[in-house]
Amino acid sequence: MDTDAYKIQTRNLDLYYGTKQALRGVSIDIRPNRVTALIGPSGCGKSTYLRSLNRMNDLIDGVRIEGDVLIDDVNIYDKEVDVVELRKRVGMIFQKSNPFPKSVYDNVAYGPRINGIHERQKLDEIVERSLRRSALWDEVNDDLRKSALALSGGQQQRLCIARALAVDPEVLLMDEPASALDPIATAKIEELIYELKQNYTIVIVTHNMQQAARVSDYTAFFYMGQLIEYDETKKMFTTPEKKQTEEYITGRFG
Amino acid sequence: MTRHFERELDDLKTNLIRMGNLVWEQLDAACRALFELDQGLALQVIQHDAEVDEFDTLIDRDCQRIFATTQPVAADLRLLMSALKINSQLERIGDIAVNVAERVEALQGHGDFLRNTRLKEMAEIARIMVHDSLDAFISGNSSLAARVLESDDVVDNLDRQIFHALLAEMCTDPHVVVPAAHIMILSRHLERLADHATNIAEDVIFLVKARLVKHNAYADRE
Repeated sequence: MDTDAYKIQTRNLDLYYGTKQALRGVSIDIRPNRVTALIGPSGCGKSTYLRSLNRMNDLIDGVRIEGDVLIDDVNIYDKEVDVVELRKRVGMIFQKSNPFPKSVYDNVAYGPRINGIHERQKLDEIVERSLRRSALWDEVNDDLRKSALALSGGQQQRLCIARALAVDPEVLLMDEPASALDPIATAKIEELIYELKQNYTIVIVTHNMQQAARVSDYTAFFYMGQLIEYDETKKMFTTPEKKQTEEYITGRFG
Repeated sequence: MTRHFERELDDLKTNLIRMGNLVWEQLDAACRALFELDQGLALQVIQHDAEVDEFDTLIDRDCQRIFATTQPVAADLRLLMSALKINSQLERIGDIAVNVAERVEALQGHGDFLRNTRLKEMAEIARIMVHDSLDAFISGNSSLAARVLESDDVVDNLDRQIFHALLAEMCTDPHVVVPAAHIMILSRHLERLADHATNIAEDVIFLVKARLVKHNAYADRE
């Protein structure tokens, strides 16, 4: 198979929290500039898998990982890999928006400043571009000094996306990015995901099956730490191969 | 939630089966009325069509509500799509039963001429196709549905044969023009009947096998 066609490749990924095995031989090839949704019941390993793609699990005590995670053909678990650099390339957006208690501007400029960019004009450009890409610019450009905490939940989540975009990542990992939002804010996030895939590879965990069906190109179904089925979303939601997948997506699980 | 949803789908399927039975009875009565030239029975068929229309509306509304409230996927989605399409086919079969019943009056006094055509043979095959397509839906039997598809050509051929035979008779004997013209139209109705049965059978295959056979099936048979 042509490996150039994939942005991220995981091969036989096993992950243990202490003695508990959370991922069992997961192999998925993720295509660039596509949205890949990870679905499955709570505790199935989908969030663990997502976090393994930018080594967020390294922060948890007792985690042991076997197998390979390749991004652009480089194993991100190799000793030489700089984790800070990796997380710049692979940004993450969480379920609960977590803006810093700073201004809108400073939230977005935070990453670039840490990376040594201090020139005002350059920062202005990055902040505007990032806020435009996260579809928030029109709603906040009259007062970028406003506290981020004064924004609505949906705006805060888009600010967090802008903050992730500001360091110019290649991959965006999203862990239930819209589950705490109302339907209008959710629709904006989904529209944004659709726009963002032009420039980024997106992997999203969602409990909302219809959201997975709406926003993703590929869907992976996890159950008890294993990848059960992975295919084009249109195939997964119309004619899944595996009975377990069918039972899960039609709400007949267990 | 899940049980409630499954009950909704079961109810939908039950209504479709009840409608199928009603349409089948209508068709059966219309054919009997035709070949026995029984005007009383024909009138009953015409009157009962309102019940078929009621089912049609009921099933349409149920499908719309289930689509809107449950966003079905996979097999559930196929069941709903098939239910909508089969419903529409059944409603048309019901209309054809009425069309057949409406010609009974015009054929009074032409019983012998009618019996000399192959229309009864054609009606029998088309009726079996409708019956089998409904059976295939009820039992989820895709091989029975596949057999229905095969019969469509037989009916098409009979339609052509009846048309040419009647045309020849009309050319030689102007006295048969009236009954022959009615029988030609009946033959076309029965040909449409077989098409609707074929469509139902295709929907059953889609439902059971998740496979669209519509255009391939036609291509294979042409």
